[in-house]
Formats: sequence, structure tokens, C-alpha cells
Amino acid sequence: MTLRQKLLLTFSLTVVGVVAAVAWTISLRVRGVFDELHHEQTSALVNQFQREFDQSAADTSAALDRMASSDALQRIAFELANGGDTAQYLNTAASLAREYQVDDLELVANDGSIISSAQWPARFGYKEPAVLSAGKPAFLKEEDLPDGSSEIGIFAVRTVEKSNPQIYVVGGRNLNADTLRDFPISAGTRVSLYRNLSAGFSLGNFIGTSQVSGSSHAYQRLVDQARTTGQNAEAVVYPTSHREDSVNATTIPLKGANGNVLAVLVVANSRRGMVEVQRHIRSIAYGAAGLGILFAIAASLWIAARVSRPIEQLARAAGEVAAGNWDTSVEVNARDELGVLAGSFNHMTEQLVEQRDRLVQSERVAAWRELARRLAHELKNPLFPLQITVENMVRARALPQEEFDEVFNESTATMRAEIDNLKVIIGRFSDFSKMPRPQVEPMDARDAVRRVAALYEPALKEKHIELHATADSGPLPISADAELLHRALSNLVLNAMDAMPDGGMLVIAAARAGDAARISVSDSGAGLTPEECSRLFTPYYTTRQHGTGLGLAIVQSVIADHHGTIAAESGENGGARFVIELPLAVAEHSV
Amino acid sequence: MLWQAAISGLLLFLALGASARTRPHYGGTLRIEVHGDAWAPDGLARRLVLDGLTDLSDTGAAQPALAVQWSQTNHNQRWEFHLRPWVRFQDGTPLNAEAVVASFTALCANSASPNATNAASETECPWNAVYAAGPLDIVFTTDAPSPDLPELLAQTRFAVSKKDPSGVLEGTGPFQVSGFTNGALMLTAYADCWQGRPFLDSVEIVQHRSQRDQWLDLSVGHADIVQVPPELLRQAQQQHMNVLVSGPVDLLALTIPAQGVFKDVGMRRSAALAVDRAALYNVIFQKQGEITAGLLPQKVSGYAFLFATDRDLDRARAMRGGAFPTPLGIGTEPGGATMRLAGERLALNLHEAGFNARMAPPGKPTAMDLQLVHLEETNPRAALDEMLAAFSLNVTVNGTGPQALWQAESSALKSNTVVPLLWLPRAWAIDERVRDIRLSPDGEPLLADASLEGAK
Repeated sequence: MTLRQKLLLTFSLTVVGVVAAVAWTISLRVRGVFDELHHEQTSALVNQFQREFDQSAADTSAALDRMASSDALQRIAFELANGGDTAQYLNTAASLAREYQVDDLELVANDGSIISSAQWPARFGYKEPAVLSAGKPAFLKEEDLPDGSSEIGIFAVRTVEKSNPQIYVVGGRNLNADTLRDFPISAGTRVSLYRNLSAGFSLGNFIGTSQVSGSSHAYQRLVDQARTTGQNAEAVVYPTSHREDSVNATTIPLKGANGNVLAVLVVANSRRGMVEVQRHIRSIAYGAAGLGILFAIAASLWIAARVSRPIEQLARAAGEVAAGNWDTSVEVNARDELGVLAGSFNHMTEQLVEQRDRLVQSERVAAWRELARRLAHELKNPLFPLQITVENMVRARALPQEEFDEVFNESTATMRAEIDNLKVIIGRFSDFSKMPRPQVEPMDARDAVRRVAALYEPALKEKHIELHATADSGPLPISADAELLHRALSNLVLNAMDAMPDGGMLVIAAARAGDAARISVSDSGAGLTPEECSRLFTPYYTTRQHGTGLGLAIVQSVIADHHGTIAAESGENGGARFVIELPLAVAEHSV
Repeated sequence: MLWQAAISGLLLFLALGASARTRPHYGGTLRIEVHGDAWAPDGLARRLVLDGLTDLSDTGAAQPALAVQWSQTNHNQRWEFHLRPWVRFQDGTPLNAEAVVASFTALCANSASPNATNAASETECPWNAVYAAGPLDIVFTTDAPSPDLPELLAQTRFAVSKKDPSGVLEGTGPFQVSGFTNGALMLTAYADCWQGRPFLDSVEIVQHRSQRDQWLDLSVGHADIVQVPPELLRQAQQQHMNVLVSGPVDLLALTIPAQGVFKDVGMRRSAALAVDRAALYNVIFQKQGEITAGLLPQKVSGYAFLFATDRDLDRARAMRGGAFPTPLGIGTEPGGATMRLAGERLALNLHEAGFNARMAPPGKPTAMDLQLVHLEETNPRAALDEMLAAFSLNVTVNGTGPQALWQAESSALKSNTVVPLLWLPRAWAIDERVRDIRLSPDGEPLLADASLEGAK
């Protein structure tokens, strides 16, 4: 990642982060305000419900008080006390319920058996345990109905006045949708009542489900929590997948006389307002973040123009220096640290160029000196015999003709031999300077090994050197100039022969080594030191007294021209080992 | 002497006056209001417009009506009835064997409704073939001996009828259909009736009238005869209404088809044992009628008390065992509020025994049904045959004696597909100006001899 990109990313993240933090803080505060409002509204509604409950309880109690003191019921009590048949009052509860405007009413005998029931007329004769609450304040009660359903109502129990034995009236008013409809509910607030009529959660137990937005199933967890714990529960409820439909819901358990939860009041405040405010804040934040990112781009571009461009120029210049182009400089436009850095870089490259030029010059001088030294050395060796021979011939002029002739003939022969030696020396230098380009063609590396082994086998035998030539059974196809390769291998074999003047063993091998054909020439001679190994292929370097130091340099040149490598190493049991690796031909490699 | 003459004259005047009050007057329109359909198989309109071949005496025996004599051969498997001569239908056509055969043939295949718009209910006829053996002779043949065929033919559903071109039923009874006025069925006196012209000029029958409206109309003089259901009979009497009450003629019974949960007779027996007849009798039906576990009233069979009516909840629970409490619907259709109340009570009874029973919503399938079945016959054998047919109980009655009848009835009730609960009476509240009215043995008002006081 470039510095410019880093700057852009840093600026963008900073701006976005700041905007997000501000937006989140504001949104959190808005949520807190709405939650506070929800709690206030819920508290008000609960208080309102309590007042409505108390009022309904008072109304129910008053209705039953009037009923219990009515002449009609006192007359019924009197007749029953005097042996009257309870059967004739089968429908009395229904008519009384209509008259006193209660939903449920039962006339109950002193033994607790129902005489007449308005809500379930067929229950006459069955026991009504609620008579134990006679005279107590109104309470919440679940009332079973003939169709298997139940209702929750506010009930009171009263004793009919002047009845002996006592007759009871058990009556109440149901909590239904009308009860909820009387609530003064503000916009966005919904109230419903869940009647705890079954063990499991059932949608059918909701009263006023139309007042609860969306799916009532969403409230199940809250309702169940209130039902099981008997404590208030609140949470955010998502009736639909739309967040604006979510509500802050509170469930308040309503308990009966025995403490059981008979119903759950569900108060739901819409979060639409809060969600819309949050959405508005988010929109503003998005806009601010967008502008911030644009600002970051502009700022990064400006800063890049001031900071990163010189650095990039420096980086590019450093890259060129690394690639070998030392004659590189950068433009210095500033006086700050970057300007100093650029100046220092330019100074450094100038120094490098100067040092390289000096080094080349010195190496060139050294090379010439080495060449001169070598030439002098090589030429001095044949010149000395020539000088001796000439001096002998001069001295021989004083000898008799026959002796002079003998000396002359010997001397001329010697001179001719030394002159040939000089030609050879000069020819080698000439060859090194005129290495031909290889004419590559497909061949098998094993053939090169076999060829050089066959050529030198007699000579090796004469020098008591044991030859071991080995090759893989499979082909080792390479692309090479057969002659040049033969010359290189011959050179190595000759070197080996020189290294074993008293005989020994020479091993020439060809084998596959991964993607290359490996040819090794090992001898059992004196071996090489690590320094010799590292310098062996340097031109004019030789370990022999009469060597030119060009043989192995030529070998390396040949191998390099074939895109191969050559290395020299000491053998494990002494001796030297030269290893040549040439790339296998592509067709063979792919196979 | 003068005093004696004056006193004698006064006594004579008073005697003449008394005689004048008791002598029926012709004329007037009698207004009757009923809950149901007047053209039902045992409906009031059919009784006033149509006649049967036979009629039932107070003892339940067949007596001549359109047939004046009858005889049987082939061990009660062939019955020949000789028609009353000179009888004419209300359209003037003579009553003969062909008309009667046509009536019975249509009856056994078609609806009994006069306008043929009511749901068709194919009548189960107690004969295999009927044909005319002469101008006034009709022959019935049956596969099995049918000693009570003359009594069975007295049932209202076997009344002889014909339809006029407009589809209205015509018969030979004392009244004929004259039309509908303001939703009321108008019947006018048939002057040429073989029984003689009735005193009343016409009868107005208002159908499907609620109980409350019936009593209100009676109290304000808009109706002369209204129905009094058994559960309100006590209240009517307390209000000093003029009420005519029949004997037990309607059987309240719980029918439990042998299917589903009740495929096992033990489960049906358990349900039967769980039923609390006393609560139904004492409270819901206000001690009217009689508790029963038999298909016939005690007065008719004489042995009904042998069938146990007591509730045995412990045994019911034990017989129910560990059966899965599948929701069981109890049906009471058609039925009013009292039938529904009785059904709810039965549901409570069954719930105590471990059945998950409750009233079935209208139109929903039911596991058991509370039915009210009317009994016309008063002859024991004929009455048993009628009830067996009504409940589709396939039991052969071998004989007419009490023992044979008891064995047949026991066999029929053994499967517990029918659980008799109560025998209930029929009652009518009569306005004071209606005179000489009485009820038939099966509780329907007989208007042929009735008259209206003050009618001109």
C-alpha cells in the first residue's frame, strides 16, 4: 500500500470514526429520551388501569350490594329457607345479571352449590368455591364457560341480606375489549390484555389484538416471562421485519385472589418516532462521512503533493540504484527533512558512481598488470631456454665444425620447440579472447560422457589412472554444442590427469538431477582448498606452475553459454569434484 | 202461587241461560301459534286437513276413520281395508282405493310438505306393498307378521292426501287450506267433511313463533291456543293460565352412534351411566314428565320401571378406563334453548366421568345427539314399533305381550346407542273463549269439535 493510500485511508477512517461516534452518541441519547418517555407512559397507563380496575371493582361491588339487598333476592332466600324448590330459580341469575348489568352472576346456596348461573346455566348443583370470598373486596377471577372457553373478570361475592341459611351472589364484569377501549391512550401507544387461560401461549387469549400492532406472537416471550415470574417484564419487540414497527413493550401480570397470574396487561409504545429520528441522524452522519471522505481525498492529495511525491521519487530512484543504474538523482525542491534526504541521496549516488569508476579503473589496471605479469611469466619460460640456446650456439662457434653442427642442430631443435611453445601460449590467449557462440542442437548428455571417456581411456591407462564412466539408463536430452561441451569435459579430464601424476581414479558420471542433467568429473588427487574452490574459475588463476589460468575460465564460459552451472568442490575422500548441471531439453522435461 | 210461578220461571230462565252457554256456536276463527312447522309429519295442519285410514281410541286401539273395517290373513301379513263410502276430498273428488294407494305410494317416496319445498324425508313404511283390491278395498302385504298395522296407520304421517295442481295438500279432514295471510296458514272449515262440518269457520296457524311472543299474544288476545313447553308448564300454572297437558308423549334421548370413541359398547355404557336424569327432570324440565330409561312410557308399557335410571358415576369412570379424552361434541339440532341447556348439562355429566364433552357448534360433526322424539301410538306393540323405527333400531318384536315387548326393548337398549332420559308431556295454553277442546292421546289439540264462545 502506498503512502498516499495510507494517508487517504487514515484520513477517511478518522473522519468516518468521528462522525460515527457523534451519531452514535446522539442516537443513544435519543433512545434514552424515548425510553424515559415509554416508562412514563407505561407508568401512567398502569396507574390508569389500576384506577379503572378499582372503579370497575367498586361498580361490581355496588351492583352486587344492591342485588343482595333487593326484595327479589330476599324473597327468594325466604322461599328457599321455607322449603322452596331451587329448580324454579334456574333462570333467575340470567335475568338478574341483565337487570344489574353484570356479565357473570351465580346464585349460590349455603352449601356452596350453584342454584342459578347466568353464564353457565347448566352448572346448577355444582360447587362454587368463590363463596369463601364473601364480603371481601372485588378480585380478579377466571370464569369457565360452557363452550370450553374462559373469561377473566372482576368479581365480588355478597351474602343476600336477611337470608338464613345464607344465599350468596357471585357476580362480575369481564375484562374485554370494551374495558381496554375506555383507556385514554395516546397516539403510538397500544394496550392489550392477555388472558392466562391455557398452560401454553395462545394468540386466542389476547383481548384487543387489533390494538397490538403486527404479530402477537412477537410478544410471546414477554408475556411468558410475566406469566411465569409474576413480575413486570419489558423489552423491545419487533412484530414485523420493519424496524419502525418495533415497540417498547412492557408486560404487567394481573393476579387473582390466590396470587395466580390470571392476565397480563401488555403496553406497547411505538418506536417509530425514535427510529425515524435515528434514521435522520444516520442520514446526516452518512452525508457528513461522505463529505469527510471527499475532504480526506483532497487533503491526502494535497499532502501527497507536499510529502509523498518526494518520497515516491526517492523510492523510484532507490529502485533504479538497486537495479544498477547508479547514475540517478532526484529533484530537490524543499528545504525540509525530505529536501535534506533527497540531497543526501543525490550525494550518495554521486559517490557510488565515482567509487564504481575508480573501481573499474583500478580493476582494469589490475587486469592489465595481471595480464602483463602472466604474459611475462608465460613468455619468460620459453625465452630463457631460447637465450641459453642462443648463448650455446654463440659459444659453439668456437668448436669444431662437426661439434658446432651437432650443437647447432640441437639448438635449432630446441629453439623451434620453444617457439612452438610460445605459439601455443599465444594461441590460448587468442582462443580465450575469441570464444565462439555455441551452435546448440539436441543431444544426449550421456553421449558427451561416453565420448570423452573413450577418448582419454588409453592415456589414463598409461598414467595408471582407473576410469569409471557411469550414466543413467534413461536418456538425458539437452540442447548443447557437442564440440564445445566435449572441449569443456576434456579440459576437466586433463586437469584431473594433471592432479594425479602418480595414478589414481577418475570418475565421470552423467545422471538426472531434477530438471537438469548433472555431469560430474571426480578425481582422487590432492583436492582443493575452499579458497581455491571459490577462485578456480577466475581467468588467469591457476594452481599449476605452467598453467595459463584460462582452462577452467573457458569451461565456465562454455557452460554459462549453455545456461548451465559449474561448481568445484572437494570430494568426501579427498580429490576434486567438478559438477556441471545443464537444463534438460523442454520436451523431455514436460514428459 | 205467583211466587212459585215466578221462581219456576226464574229457574227455567237460568237453566236456559246455562244451556245457552254450553251449546257450541258455529263460526269464528281460532288462532293457534306454534314453535315449529305445522306441516311436519306430526304437525297440527296435517291433523286438521288430513285423515288416516284408522284412528286411535283412548285405549290406543285402532278405530274406524276413512276405513270402516279391516281384516287380516296369512298370519297378519296381509291386511285388507275397506274404505268408507261417499267420502270426498276437499276438491270434490271421491275417495277411493286408487287415491289412497297413490297417497301411500307418494308418501313412501316423497316429502309430506304440501308445497313440496321442504326437505324430502322418505318415510319408512311398515308394509312391503299396497294395492287396490277393489274400488274401496286396499290390501297391504308385509314380509313379517304385522299385527299392529291398523294402529300404525293411525299415525299422522300415514294420513291420506293428494296434491292439487298448485302443489297444496288436500285431504278429507274437517279443514282445508285456504292460503297464507301475513305469514299465517289459513284453514277453512270443510263443509262436506265425512265427520260433519266443524264449528269453527276457520283456523289460523302462526308457525315458528317464539315462546315469548306466543304468551304475549295469548295474554293480549291475539292468540287462542299457544304452546307451553314442559319446562314452562309450572310457570304457566303459577300464572293461572288455562293449560291442557297430555301424558308423556315426547322422549328425550341421547343417541350415541357406534363409531369413533364410542365404537366400543363399554364406552357407550359408560356415557349412559354418567347421565344424571334427575337433574334434567328436577331442574331443567321443572319436574314435568317422568324419568325413564325405556323406549316407552310406564303408562304404555307397564314395565318401564324395570330399566334402571340411576346414575352410577364410579362405574362410568371405571368403564371409561384410560381412554383418550378426545373432544366429543354433543348436538341438539334442531333444538331450542332448553335442549341446549340439557345438552350442556349432559356435557358436564360426561365431563365428570372423564369424557371431554361439550356442545358442538352448529353444523359441526357430533359424537352424540340429544333428540326429542314424539310418540303417537298408545298401543304397546305399535308404540314400540314406532320408537324402534324412529331410532332405526333393528329389532324384531315377537309377540304383543309385555314379556315379548320387554325382551325386544331390552335387546334394543343393550347396545346403548340410544339412552332414554325423560318422557315429557305436551301442553297448550287455551284462551277462555275456546270451548270443547281436548287433546289427542299424543298431545295435539283436537279442533274438530272445538268452538269459540261468542262466535256468530
